[in-house]
Amino acid sequence: MGEHFRAFSFVDRIHALQPGVRIRGSYAIPADIGEFSGSLVAEAVGQLAAWAAMAAVDFKSRPVAGLASSIELLAPVHPGQVLELSAELETVDAEAAAYGGAASVDGTPVIRLQHCVGPMLSIEEFDDPQLIRDRFALLQRAGAVPGAFGGLPSFPLEPANGEAGDCLRATLQVPTVAPFFADHFPRRAVFPGSLLMHSNLELAAALAARLPQPCSGGCWTLRGLSDVKLRAFTPPGERLEIEARSTHLSGNAATLTVETRKGKRVISGARVLLAPEELS
Amino acid sequence: MNNASITKQEIMAVYPKVAATMADALGCDVEQVKLEASLIDDLSAESIDFLDIVFRLERAFKVKIPRGKIVEEARGDLSEAEFDKGGIVTDAGLARLKAYLSEVPAERFMAPLKSADIPRLFTTETFCKMVLRQQRAVGVTAPAA
Repeated sequence: MGEHFRAFSFVDRIHALQPGVRIRGSYAIPADIGEFSGSLVAEAVGQLAAWAAMAAVDFKSRPVAGLASSIELLAPVHPGQVLELSAELETVDAEAAAYGGAASVDGTPVIRLQHCVGPMLSIEEFDDPQLIRDRFALLQRAGAVPGAFGGLPSFPLEPANGEAGDCLRATLQVPTVAPFFADHFPRRAVFPGSLLMHSNLELAAALAARLPQPCSGGCWTLRGLSDVKLRAFTPPGERLEIEARSTHLSGNAATLTVETRKGKRVISGARVLLAPEELS
Repeated sequence: MNNASITKQEIMAVYPKVAATMADALGCDVEQVKLEASLIDDLSAESIDFLDIVFRLERAFKVKIPRGKIVEEARGDLSEAEFDKGGIVTDAGLARLKAYLSEVPAERFMAPLKSADIPRLFTTETFCKMVLRQQRAVGVTAPAA
């Protein structure tokens, strides 16, 4: 089976499913990995919603990352913790799945997603439908053996020209080979949207560190994203340009926009919301 | 419900909110979202933008807008085979489409028209009418702008 259902699969048990309506599941973050970012937690919620959406259309099509009105990053998570995942489907049809969802650790919310939309595409284009059905059955019964995820390879941002006080640019070299491509997706390798989001947030954090301090002192922290939109698939080996720009700054809130381009084509865009770090 | 029963006054009542919603989805100035603007040709919308707009309109106007509804309604009592042959809209289908999308200038209905290209015809007004039809379907008599 190789890396399929191992290198980028973040649901290892489905606890309850009301077809086409709601789903609950869990994922045990392996204790021996270096980190598990908020973007991966969002991915886990999205994957749970995808299981519910695929089941609702008898595994003929699957949602892919598209839109998210709001992603609230409520608390960091750590290796060894167990994510309690939930998702509510707003609609599922042949064209799109719309959902909201959340993840908690020990009852404390760590992320909340609202009004997400994934375009539905033929499952056969991305994976073997029978393997997907078998995996779904496993997740509903015994659950998958935890600990398969071995962490992510690093794909650092390279600073690019054109920086100004309110703007930072960087280049992302998408790897040509990485374990997650065999899982996302076996029949059509695509750089996961959540990893692109992670790179976007990394650049946003670098820009946030350059902004004038909030009124309360301290520094800015990432609180969430809004109006996230993924416009195109990114195959392995692509070279992308990312730009983060400050669009609103006050004493107690700031907003950045992040945009990813491949040449002139906009691949993704989002707003990043910053708030003063809470000083204890 | 046919197009004739949607008045310009009704369209103009929902247009500001539709335009603001579309501008948010497309990341453009609301002034650019003119009533007659083609989403693809004038506003550079892509397929993901159509989904975005539809879901935002659903939330803004609290209606459900079934995807694919436009083509289905435009087809009327024509069968799928009578409307589309090999991915191309038939003459009968084109006539239905012109009547249904009455807001689209006649010269933009280029024959042969691929069914996949029908969304290229959509204008801001098309979405205004979509909202109005759905409002009526759920019994909203006065447009909630």
